[in-house]
Amino acid sequence: MTMSEVAEVLQAEVLVKGDGLLRRVGHVMASDLMSDVLLVDEEDMLLLTSLASDQVLRTAQIVGAVGVVVVNGKPLPSSMVNVANDLHMTLATSRLSKYDACVAVHAARHPL
Amino acid sequence: MSAPGSQSPVAPDERPGLGESGNDPLVLLELIQRLKVRDVMTADLVTLPRDASMRQAQELMRQKKISGVPVEEKGRFFGLVSIDDIIRALVAGTIHESCGRHMTTKLVVLEDDMPLSFALRYFDRYHYGRFPVLNRDRRLVGIICQRDINRALLVELTRELQRLESVSVQRGGEGAAGSLYLLREFPICKYDFENAGKAANQIKQVLQEKKFATKVIRRIAVAAYELEINLCVHSDGGVLSWQVSSGRAEVIARDAGPGIEDVEWACRDGTSTANEWIRSLGFGAGMGLVNVRRVSDEFEITSKKGSGTTVKAVIYIEGGAA
Ligand SMILES: Nc1ncnc2c1ncn2[C@@H]1O[C@H](COP(=O)(O)OP(=O)(O)O)[C@@H](O)[C@H]1O
Ligand SMILES: [Mg+2]
Repeated sequence: MTMSEVAEVLQAEVLVKGDGLLRRVGHVMASDLMSDVLLVDEEDMLLLTSLASDQVLRTAQIVGAVGVVVVNGKPLPSSMVNVANDLHMTLATSRLSKYDACVAVHAARHPL
Repeated sequence: MSAPGSQSPVAPDERPGLGESGNDPLVLLELIQRLKVRDVMTADLVTLPRDASMRQAQELMRQKKISGVPVEEKGRFFGLVSIDDIIRALVAGTIHESCGRHMTTKLVVLEDDMPLSFALRYFDRYHYGRFPVLNRDRRLVGIICQRDINRALLVELTRELQRLESVSVQRGGEGAAGSLYLLREFPICKYDFENAGKAANQIKQVLQEKKFATKVIRRIAVAAYELEINLCVHSDGGVLSWQVSSGRAEVIARDAGPGIEDVEWACRDGTSTANEWIRSLGFGAGMGLVNVRRVSDEFEITSKKGSGTTVKAVIYIEGGAA
């Protein structure tokens, strides 16, 4: 699935298109711990997080993530859009909880 | 720190400030990080009590050739009378009234143990001519203006230049043989979450531009990021430097305090002294140093409680840039 297809599945609003929208999402990671994210060795990861901070985007850039989706419909500080633009990082928000977001992506990838 | 005061700040210009572009001379970057506001400020203050008249303030400013007088009583800081305040009082016919009544009270202040880089950023952001300086106990201890900074930097740079000249004489110009490829330093301020991670992001971008292998870039970037965050959340501020030369990348984080009590403990997986607030920001899982060691070919940490910490991560680059 591409990042834009995943965004659709998550009923997410894409705030910054960045470079990731058409990239393939190979892995999904749900975490609020930046050091955990830095442990991942995959280059085609989507990060689901309930943290709304600039550092989420900066961490995602370090591991070459496809994009960041902030879950729980958390309001984002305005700086996040600027940072995402600077880093060309795809940024979206979803009203789904982290758990429901994981379930939704999984269901879309493995239809019954 | 209080909110910006009544004077309206001029729109910030687009040029990056000192230490923000990544292109400033290293010596300068190191200096603005090492020097504290207290090293640069004017500590010898001329002040007035609240019941002094604006006329007295005007007279004092004329005599001493200064553009602002702090209003203070026994170290307690109340406000600042600026030239603007004087002009306003002259126009309104209130020049005989008290400073306490007409001084500017909504002020942006600096603390004496902040690094100079912080002060520079404030001058850039707020466009005030001067900032009162308070100590930890919120007592007025000085005032800092751009001129103080220029003077201090000139003195320090001259000193540094003399030192460098004597070093290069000793080395006899062997420097060129080292074939240094890239070298950069970033000052990192304590709790500066507006910028934390930016240096590592830039390092990654540069390495991508130079077409290094993806895996190598990631390892260098991870080390830089974890060390940068540690400087931001655990140290009083420091410098993140990195260099790439003949087959190896070095990332070094250096700070002057507070140091680590038990280095061996700190390097274990999951050990952290981070507080609840840091953890709410997604850091403080105690995996940072472990992560740095994991991505490094060489890893060194030296620290002493009460002095500072230096962490060095070396990553070997096979074949260098493609
Ligand atoms: N530059 C530093 N100055 C002081 N203490 C540090 C520094 N870097 C690391 N530490 C100490 O080492 C501990 C472990 O660091 P780290 O492994 O990065 O985990 P974390 O940052 O999540 O706490 C920190 O909690 C802190 O106590
Ligand atoms: Mg850490």
